[in-house]
Amino acid sequence: CTSDLDIIPKDDQTTLSEDLFDNDTAYKQVLAGIYANLALTGTDGGGSSNLKNIDAGTSQFGRVLLYTQTLSADQMIWSYENDPGTREIQRNLWTAQNPLLLGMFSRTHLSIALANNFLRETTDDKLDGRNVSSAVRSEIPAYRAEARLLRAMAYYYMMDLFGKANFATEDDPVSSQPIVYDRAQLFDFIETELKEIETDLIAPRQNEYGRADKAVAYMILAKIYLNAEVYIKENKYSDCINYCERIIAGGYNLADNYLHNFMADNNTNSATNEIIFPIISDGVVTQNFGPTTVMINGSVGSIEENGIEVGVGSGGWGGALRVRKQLANLFGPAFANDDRNTIISSGRPIDIVDISDRDTGFILQKYSNATSTGSFGSDQTFVDTDFPLYRLADVYLMYAEAHLRGGGGSLSTAVDYINALRDRANNSNTITSGDLSLDFILDERARELHWEAHRRQDLIRFKRFTGGSYNWVWKGNGSNGISLPAHFDIYPIPQASIAANPNNLTQNPGY
Amino acid sequence: TVTEQSTSIPLPGVNVVIKSTTTGTSTDFDGNYQIEVNTGDIIVFSYVGYRTQEITYTGQATLNVQLTDDAAQLDEIVVIGYGSTTKKDATGSVEAITSEDFTKGNIVTPENLLNGRVSGVSITTGGAPGAGSQITIRGGSSINASNSPLIIIDGLPISNDGLNGSRGILASINPNDIDSFSVLKDASATAIYGSRASNGVIIIVTKKGKSKLSVTYDAQYTFGEITDRINVFSGDEFRALVASQPINGTTLDESLLGAANTDWQDEIFRNTVSAQHNITMQGLVLKAVPTRFSFGTTNQEGAILTSKFERRSLGLSVNPSLFDDHLKINLNANLAFEDNRFGNTIGQAIRFDPTQPVYDASSPFGGFYQHRNGSVVSNGTTNPVASLLQSNNTGDSNRSYGNLNFEYKFHFLPALKAVLNIGFDETEAKTINITSTQVPTNDPVKGNDSRGFQRRTNKLLDGYLSYNKDFDKISAGFTAGYSYQKFTNNGGNTGNRRDDASFASTFADPDVVLIGFFGRANLSFLDKYLLTLTYRRDGTSRFGEGNKWGDFPAAAIAWNMSDEDFLKNSNTISNLKLRASYGITGQQDLPGQNDIFLNRYRGGDQNSQYQFGNAVIQSLIASEVNPDLKWEETTTIEFGIDYGLFDQRISGSLNLFQKNSTDLLFTAAVADGTNFSNSIIQNIGELQIQGLEFSLNADVIKNENFNVDFNFNATFLDREITELALGQDVRTGGISGGTGNTIQLLRVGEAPNSFHVFKQLYDTSGAPIEGAYVDLNGDNIINDDDRYLKENPGADVILGFQSNINYKKFDLSFNLRANIGNYVYNNANSSRAQYELLQDNAVLGNIPTTVLNTGFQRTSDVIISDAYVEDASFLRMDNITLGYTFNNISKQLKSVRLWGGVQNVFTITNYSGLDPEVFNGIDNLIFPRSRNILAGANFKF
Repeated sequence: CTSDLDIIPKDDQTTLSEDLFDNDTAYKQVLAGIYANLALTGTDGGGSSNLKNIDAGTSQFGRVLLYTQTLSADQMIWSYENDPGTREIQRNLWTAQNPLLLGMFSRTHLSIALANNFLRETTDDKLDGRNVSSAVRSEIPAYRAEARLLRAMAYYYMMDLFGKANFATEDDPVSSQPIVYDRAQLFDFIETELKEIETDLIAPRQNEYGRADKAVAYMILAKIYLNAEVYIKENKYSDCINYCERIIAGGYNLADNYLHNFMADNNTNSATNEIIFPIISDGVVTQNFGPTTVMINGSVGSIEENGIEVGVGSGGWGGALRVRKQLANLFGPAFANDDRNTIISSGRPIDIVDISDRDTGFILQKYSNATSTGSFGSDQTFVDTDFPLYRLADVYLMYAEAHLRGGGGSLSTAVDYINALRDRANNSNTITSGDLSLDFILDERARELHWEAHRRQDLIRFKRFTGGSYNWVWKGNGSNGISLPAHFDIYPIPQASIAANPNNLTQNPGY
Repeated sequence: TVTEQSTSIPLPGVNVVIKSTTTGTSTDFDGNYQIEVNTGDIIVFSYVGYRTQEITYTGQATLNVQLTDDAAQLDEIVVIGYGSTTKKDATGSVEAITSEDFTKGNIVTPENLLNGRVSGVSITTGGAPGAGSQITIRGGSSINASNSPLIIIDGLPISNDGLNGSRGILASINPNDIDSFSVLKDASATAIYGSRASNGVIIIVTKKGKSKLSVTYDAQYTFGEITDRINVFSGDEFRALVASQPINGTTLDESLLGAANTDWQDEIFRNTVSAQHNITMQGLVLKAVPTRFSFGTTNQEGAILTSKFERRSLGLSVNPSLFDDHLKINLNANLAFEDNRFGNTIGQAIRFDPTQPVYDASSPFGGFYQHRNGSVVSNGTTNPVASLLQSNNTGDSNRSYGNLNFEYKFHFLPALKAVLNIGFDETEAKTINITSTQVPTNDPVKGNDSRGFQRRTNKLLDGYLSYNKDFDKISAGFTAGYSYQKFTNNGGNTGNRRDDASFASTFADPDVVLIGFFGRANLSFLDKYLLTLTYRRDGTSRFGEGNKWGDFPAAAIAWNMSDEDFLKNSNTISNLKLRASYGITGQQDLPGQNDIFLNRYRGGDQNSQYQFGNAVIQSLIASEVNPDLKWEETTTIEFGIDYGLFDQRISGSLNLFQKNSTDLLFTAAVADGTNFSNSIIQNIGELQIQGLEFSLNADVIKNENFNVDFNFNATFLDREITELALGQDVRTGGISGGTGNTIQLLRVGEAPNSFHVFKQLYDTSGAPIEGAYVDLNGDNIINDDDRYLKENPGADVILGFQSNINYKKFDLSFNLRANIGNYVYNNANSSRAQYELLQDNAVLGNIPTTVLNTGFQRTSDVIISDAYVEDASFLRMDNITLGYTFNNISKQLKSVRLWGGVQNVFTITNYSGLDPEVFNGIDNLIFPRSRNILAGANFKF
């Protein structure tokens, strides 16, 4: 009986591909799988991972995005430098061996593979052969557009962080050796793709919470246009203004309270008016060691043990995260009562002389596992707080900046947007048009958007990341900061990724 | 009548054959036989383990024969795959260890009967009660796939995968039931097991029923003590240290200090009492059926409070012969009940503030001292004694295993034999994890209450035909057969029933099915020139279409040189055999990856869902896939010499081998963006093992009253990775201290798992400079690129020595083992002995006193330093026992042997940690091995 060698899976969580689409509900579930790759690292709890050679939590998309965009810059310090890769990221010593970079590169490319897989499985030919119900069939165009959007988003982050990506579409079979696109090719692909899917995407704010709509595509377009000088050395600020306006026209409003955006119920409170795209987290059903879990547990002070206030264990993670003084200094006396200033400084020196000394440096209480109504998330480690990947406040600031950079639009609208943010933060120090400058924008972005995984990109756009024009503490591993070589504007391609695609993928210059 | 020479006990089942014919019979249960012979015929009397006698018939009416123990061992039967051979006829590297040679002492699990006995075999057993062992033969021929040998019990290959609730795959087997081990090492011997043979094979044969009635009772008591501690600061020293702050910059809150002096290791360690009892009865049931029944109990206390291992085992062996011995039936049925309680808080004991007491009457947490502020728990280590006493983690596993074996000699053609073997092994385990609701936590969910179950089954059906015929100058043996085996595994867990966010879950692995066709030919010319050819074709369910089947051939030749005329009459050389073998074996054991060749999706569990709108949706994520996966292959070439001197007073062997594993089953990177992981198990990479094994058995003194023998074996091993996937280094060897930190590396040209570290800089006084490393690549930046490889965990040389000394009725035996050139990364020091750790989150914490030598401040600065990679070569005496036997005490009681001994007698090493014997080379607070005093009695009725 050699036919016994032909086995089938027995576990109720596992289904053979050939059987999966017998059930119409599978289409939405497989689509959810692409979204879930931004939040989950595996299918079996927060410690599971479908990537290898890297700790599960440190390949969570939002977390490695936070590490590569925020920890690498001037706002955040991670105390436990024996967590592999963190020291090299926050001291700007990274190499192609850095596990966090591998996590970022591989996790994001997995989104591409999952999206391509969905697109392969939902061609008209396949659907025709499966007798899909008309109800499901009518949803498929939007699903496919969302899959393409998530794929474009993945390429956007690769373009920004690594300057290149393995390029595969639904036409490339599983396990093939993909070609590589450089920044210009990626820029072109992202732009074309997002415009192409626009009609199939659901209108802004009309899709289910957690799913992407037209505004998410606009947001990515606005961002690539804002940074086009970095990516392709072209001025695209007017396109940026255009897409910012289209997002704003989509009906978004600022949350009633700045902090609503960062609370356990930000999927239901007034933040739903502001958040354009979240990465889901839930203490019970979507457990992950993602950016909100890390920041809420991590920012509990070693001295303060203020975890209870933010809905996690009293000690949290013992002071894993603190702020560098450059961020603290942006909240001067004029911001003492600004809602965006959540810094806790009492009894703490501002300077971090020894990174492992968790009693030094200020801490921050921006994110919370408490709800806007005073209750708490469902778990004391895994938070309910969704990560606001894109939100309206960022759009306002992008509009103002693109305007200042010559993209058109209206100065008074730009000033109004900035003041709307200040009003919302209960800061009476509003600005006038004379106050608006690019330097101001950079600082205001930090005050509004700190710890939201934007900072490195901003500093590069302002030409302050590498070189010596702006040295923050521990930049380049100097306690007061030292200059960084220019090639650090792009991360090295992980060694393992190059090795696995040796004919096409090459290392970035300088590494 | 045929009797045993020394005791005059009749021997049943002795083969009595007229030489050069197939005419013969065998003795009955009283040793009697009848045979029709003609004058001048030579009658051959042969029996397993006895020297064959040839007597020429000269007309005697009765011919009484006394067979003597075969000291020469050359005719000793050696169990090999699907059959047996004699030592003289063996062409491969096979070592047999029978019950007389077993290591003596507090042997709880069967593999320890072998420890140190066989060259090339390395056994590392944990210190926990009933702990399992890591067994490797010749260092292991794989990297990512299993390195465990195939273990076969009475023809039933068992799974290497343990299950929750049990200590190990051999923990449920009573060592007292084991009759012998055969260790198959070279490809010629192992290839008959094809796809599972690359790491060698250990065949365990259990004791069978004998016709002579006997009852034995063994009792053994063991008193154990942990003799070593990881040195941490005492309460007084700790207070002084904290008061002397700032200690190199660290400021500590002295008000957190307590007034007690608690040695937390003393609090969690205990002296243990363990007992083993075995009763064995054997004899004829219904006056015809040899039967053996055994009952054993083992109760072993763990050296850490609350931990324990208990086993009750029942063994039944029924061994009837029918139709004039043409049909032999062996039924082995075993039941084992293993009850464990797990507990280990050594890490907490080393860390907990020594100035605090164990108990605190005012504590809301069960009366144990805990770091707290009122009823709010302060962030820090939990009281290690409370953790043990407030949790009850148990695992009960029930195992039933056995086999039914039919061996039929054809009536019309006795040279042809058919064997059918049906095997069965099923273990069901239940685990219970309960922690008290009084455990210190600020979580609204207090403690844990979860139940788990797991069930593994293993079913075997195999059968073969064998034909053995002696021709004029050639003897030939042919074997051909079929084997089918299926493994299943499933289970589940309730999750924490006190926590609404915790869910019940179940799992079911895909079945593993293995099917094989095998054949073997043994040819011997003039008894001097031997040839063995082996072939197996194996199929596995683990690989996809086109890759399921593999072919595993082997060949061996041997020359019994001492039978040649020029040596035949040598007084010095009694045996000299040269062997050479070549073969290919396979590997398909990928724990947990039984269906990676299939296109699958996996849905998230209850904690891994996604949310659309306010509804929860189960996401389905495509699983990594590799349809091209196939066998890993190991090619082994070996040259061996078996020697015997002075009428076998000295004997042994020397083997020289090289193993090359190719197409390693290896988890390696795949191009990002087209598969559903960044890294997938593939067939890439090569590993080479070269080695030399030497063994020497010597009967130093042999006379009526005084016997001294010893066995010495030595293994020299060199493992080197000769090819890695994509030429890439692979990081491995997770350590504590940092999330996902690794300390070992796989690199081409190096031994597997070499330590990957920074080169420490030292000041002029020889003290290490914190965080200062050699800039090996000279780029003026100390980063990951400056790590280098320093040594590896594998021993270059493994030595074993044991000796048995008998003087009149005294017996003394002891054994020694040594490893040379094995290195250990002292993770206990590297992640703990730094001053910053005096601050344990919100409270104070203890650290190892080795910090005084280094003065190190910060873990993250030093954890990758090569200073923590230490030479862990050792010499260890595992056991020494002394016994005295009283004979013929009464009519019923034939003998009593009283004995005592010491286990884990001494260890000589320069390694600074608790124990140099660490399997993977990373010493992260292993469960310590206690020193045991043993006392036992053995009664024979």
